[in-house]
Amino acid sequence: MRRIIIDADKCKGCKNCSMACIKAHKSSDATLAFADPQFESRNTILLNGEKKYKPLFCRHCDKPACATACMSGAMIKDPKTGHVIYDRDKCATCFMCVMSCPFGVLKPDRMTNTYVVKCDFCAEHGSEPSCVKLCPTKAITAKEVK
Amino acid sequence: MKHVIIGAGAAGISAARTLRKQSAVDEIVMIATDRLAYSRCMLHKYIGGERDEKGISFVEEDFFESNRIRFCSDRTVTKIDTSNHQVCFADGVESYDKLLIATGAESFFPPIPGLKGAKNVFGLRDLVDARAIKSQGSKAKHVVVIGAGLVGLDVAYGLLEMGKKPTVVEMADTILSSNLDASAALTYQMKFEEAGCMFKLGCKVEGVLSDASGQVSAITLGDGSQLNCDLLVVASGVRPSIGWLADSGIVCERGVVVDNYLATNIANVYAAGDVTGLSESWPNAVEQGEVAAQNMLGMPNEYTDTFSLKNTIHFFGIPSLSVGRLNGKEGDVEESREDRKRYQKVILRDGIPVGVILQGDISRSGFWQQLIKNKVDVSGRSKDIWKVSFADSYGIEDNGEYKWLFD
Amino acid sequence: MTQRFSCSTCKSADKVLEQFISDLPMETSFHRVESQEVKCEFGLEGVCCRLCANGPCRITPDSPKGICGANADTMVTRNFLRAVSAGSGCYIHIVENTARNLKNAALAKDTLKGTKALERLCDMFGISGGDVYSKAIKVADAVLIDLYKPDFEKMDLTKKLAYPPRYKRWEELGILPGGAKSEVFSGTVKSSTNLNSDPVDMLLHCLRLGISTGLYGLTLTNLLNDVMLGEPEIRQAPVGLRVINPEYINIMITGHQHSMIAYLQDRLGDEDVIQKARAVGAKGFKLVGCTCVGQDLQLRGSHYTNVFDGHGGNNFTSEIILSTGAIDAVITDFNCTLPGIEPICEALQIKQVCIDAVAKKANATLIDFSFDVRKATSENILDEVVAAYKIRRGIVPLRVLPDHGNDTTLTGISEVSLKAFLGDTWQPLIALIADGSIKGLAAVVGCSNLTAGGHDVLTVEMTKALIAKDILVLSAGCSSGGLENCGLMSPEAAELAGPKLKAVCQQLGIPPVLNFGPCLAIGRLEIVAMEIAEALGVDIPQLPLVLSAPQWLEEQALADGAFGLALGLPLHLGLPPFVTGSPIAVQVLCEDMKTLTGGHVLINGDAEESAVLLEDIILQKRRDLNLA
Repeated sequence: MRRIIIDADKCKGCKNCSMACIKAHKSSDATLAFADPQFESRNTILLNGEKKYKPLFCRHCDKPACATACMSGAMIKDPKTGHVIYDRDKCATCFMCVMSCPFGVLKPDRMTNTYVVKCDFCAEHGSEPSCVKLCPTKAITAKEVK
Repeated sequence: MKHVIIGAGAAGISAARTLRKQSAVDEIVMIATDRLAYSRCMLHKYIGGERDEKGISFVEEDFFESNRIRFCSDRTVTKIDTSNHQVCFADGVESYDKLLIATGAESFFPPIPGLKGAKNVFGLRDLVDARAIKSQGSKAKHVVVIGAGLVGLDVAYGLLEMGKKPTVVEMADTILSSNLDASAALTYQMKFEEAGCMFKLGCKVEGVLSDASGQVSAITLGDGSQLNCDLLVVASGVRPSIGWLADSGIVCERGVVVDNYLATNIANVYAAGDVTGLSESWPNAVEQGEVAAQNMLGMPNEYTDTFSLKNTIHFFGIPSLSVGRLNGKEGDVEESREDRKRYQKVILRDGIPVGVILQGDISRSGFWQQLIKNKVDVSGRSKDIWKVSFADSYGIEDNGEYKWLFD
Repeated sequence: MTQRFSCSTCKSADKVLEQFISDLPMETSFHRVESQEVKCEFGLEGVCCRLCANGPCRITPDSPKGICGANADTMVTRNFLRAVSAGSGCYIHIVENTARNLKNAALAKDTLKGTKALERLCDMFGISGGDVYSKAIKVADAVLIDLYKPDFEKMDLTKKLAYPPRYKRWEELGILPGGAKSEVFSGTVKSSTNLNSDPVDMLLHCLRLGISTGLYGLTLTNLLNDVMLGEPEIRQAPVGLRVINPEYINIMITGHQHSMIAYLQDRLGDEDVIQKARAVGAKGFKLVGCTCVGQDLQLRGSHYTNVFDGHGGNNFTSEIILSTGAIDAVITDFNCTLPGIEPICEALQIKQVCIDAVAKKANATLIDFSFDVRKATSENILDEVVAAYKIRRGIVPLRVLPDHGNDTTLTGISEVSLKAFLGDTWQPLIALIADGSIKGLAAVVGCSNLTAGGHDVLTVEMTKALIAKDILVLSAGCSSGGLENCGLMSPEAAELAGPKLKAVCQQLGIPPVLNFGPCLAIGRLEIVAMEIAEALGVDIPQLPLVLSAPQWLEEQALADGAFGLALGLPLHLGLPPFVTGSPIAVQVLCEDMKTLTGGHVLINGDAEESAVLLEDIILQKRRDLNLA
């Protein structure tokens, strides 16, 4: 499967990845569409205690705890692509996936708490993650992994 | 090899999935008392009308066909004949090479005088219960729910959606007392009350009264008062569903007794999910189903993650989660903070988080469970407990997955 | 859940204020710090360039140059020069308006409250003859003529204002400034797209801007204001949110241009205006000080105790002062007026008036100050304020904090009043420094920011560490706002000083941290340094004096810093000024500057470490002067 590989040491905290993610998923044409509920990034950058950048991206885990926790069948690991895909229509918004993601990647949407904000590997953009395309330091790259 | 799974809940389905994934040729049979593989956690959405029966399924529409599973629906197993490798129905048998008991749990009806035998009294565990509550609820004038735990509130929520104004009676002084602390619980209580739900907290149900036709008509409370009631839902907890195993020779205590490989005392018979009483959470049941299936296939695998003190709650657009301890014990350090959108509490013991409650904003909070489960000392990480995150344990595997680096 | 807006607010050195903010039901800057915690490193290091359509270009190991070919050194110094130019422009705008106001006041024969200050300026400039008004006009004209010169004509007053050894060095380095406005202009041109790419040339231009900023924007603004508004007189005054008295119609002032509100300020004490307040149920009008113009009012507060309640707090206290609900209007004459005040004013129905278009806030009414019509516009403003009071009082909840701050802050300190206090000579201070009772002087100046540990955190902690080492601290700018609210400018703070400094403070009845007022008063500190150096017969870089802007915030602070470097002072900053991406900029600012002007930049964000570094420098300078 393809996975976004992270080299945290190369991250400069520029948030291009987050802006790219928003752009790829927002429904409005406006650049900064705060009223658009989709105006939200799936990824983020954390700081550790030493103020070092630690990019937080969905790993599409081999054994995804979010899918295990899902009681509605909304979160499943696609056997073909290996990506963990989320079906908003099936989701019962119990948010067990949010609690179960061991790394704290998942979150309810910021405006309505009615769905989970989840990386889809830019399926609608030919599965070439938009964040990867815009990273200026190649801190994130998409690679085939076993 | 022929695998038979009794029960089509979280554990049963996950076991079937695993069996098929690992073995293309083995025969898989699933037996269930219902005609669907539905999620119990969504029954209230069915009652409230948010979803129909199909809508509470948690498997793909063609799950049984595509996985080549023979699904025996609407079938009740009466006993297991372990010496002949058979499960028995009233009208027949099904043989097995490997058997998985994944029958889950059933509603517990406390010994309240007059409760047993009263009509229009239901639990909420199965689709059958949900259908009954939905149809009786539409006619009922005075609905009472016993128990203000998650299931009780699920029922109340579904009834509110139906336009009913249920009364919830609870022995504890707060609602959701096994899921939240008093402060977080109060937020929901107020929302439920605003929506028309009434609560009788710190209240014991002393008796159930029925009319001449046996229909429930009222309940009497510990303070001597009486509540009119024409539909009673009992949500006083669940017990592993093991009554039917009485003469099978399978050793049961609270639930079916299993070893680390989820095997029972009888060869080739395994158990997974709520029926084991190991834990009562969906992710644990899924995990157990998977582990049991691997062992059934002769691929030895131990079930280790028994941590089940975790829950999420989501009513009225306010999500919450709790992991571990809800209230500090002597010697614990409690840190909490609150604003117009959230309430957060962390309980620490010797620098190790042992409990967390987050309400209102649970974004990117999954790491807490790892800190608590793995007893990670966070005292050296940051002066500010609220800044703790995966960033301080940030590791990456060769295959690009994250891994926790514990100091 | 509570009404508290958010439970993650940034820290403040001022714990009472920190708690108050944490409980607020509205958003302030303190609430936004966490959401901006992840900073872009390209920006932090100064290696992001947005000067052309090929950009933004950013420097990485794989992209060491922008598309145009600019490397990190060019990008960084270009960005830096643009910032210093803008900062200088701000101060030059202030001195220009101040000089024009003095000239107009003299033409109109308004009362000039500081005739002694005028005499000193005349001495300095070599102006004699005529009455006070004609002298004032000549002084103002001399300043304006210099400001408006082209960049290729050196300004005349530089030589008259500067300490001669410094002037000589600047002349040698070729950094004597031309017309101050033109220097800003050429700094802007130089740093535009595909013009200058020479990092050293651009850094030297920063020094030139530093000189014009310091001598004109800072020093002269103070002195011209003193002529119009009266000279600072040493006294004790209340500070903090306690100064707000809800029984009055309260006007908070933000900015840097004291002379622009002077007329209104005087009117507030007039009986007919007080009647306007009484007519709507208030006892009268009060000005509540905030930011540097508040420091200016506090500094000269002895001249108008009737209308000035006291200084509330510094730049990042402005939103908090407004959130009390007891302020009816904000009058803004210049910057440090945060956009964050706008939604608060809207929510609490606080009238916003801007009197200088450069600081026009989105929600504010612009009533541009013009000397000719100052009477009419002042009445207009007063009517607006009264109308706001009538609408909002009684409806808007009050959240006053009468226990915040203190009543004992020593204020009114200037190069003149301090010297007078010492007996019209610096000898007592020099003697105390010489015998080691005072180890040295640290000018802790500049702004407050929310990122160097939190609001005033580094400033206050470092200052405490410095005084504990017997180093006397002089402060000017928003740093003063934090230090005074935290009690360090009250005589009682002597307890926190080292044993020798404590004894000095107790003997003189002064605090170990002296408040010179607004950031403009960095110019006053320069005069103190110059006069002490003169008395000792040394150059300024030889003095046991260090300069620190621990929590610098704005472009103006960078121009101030450039002045400090031109003076040859060691300049400590808590956060780097977006230059660390350029090896040349770092080398020039931190090392080579020592041989150019004698100054250098040192960066440290830790209070204790910074104090040790500064003490080491002071000790070395003492040794070089053969002081024990």
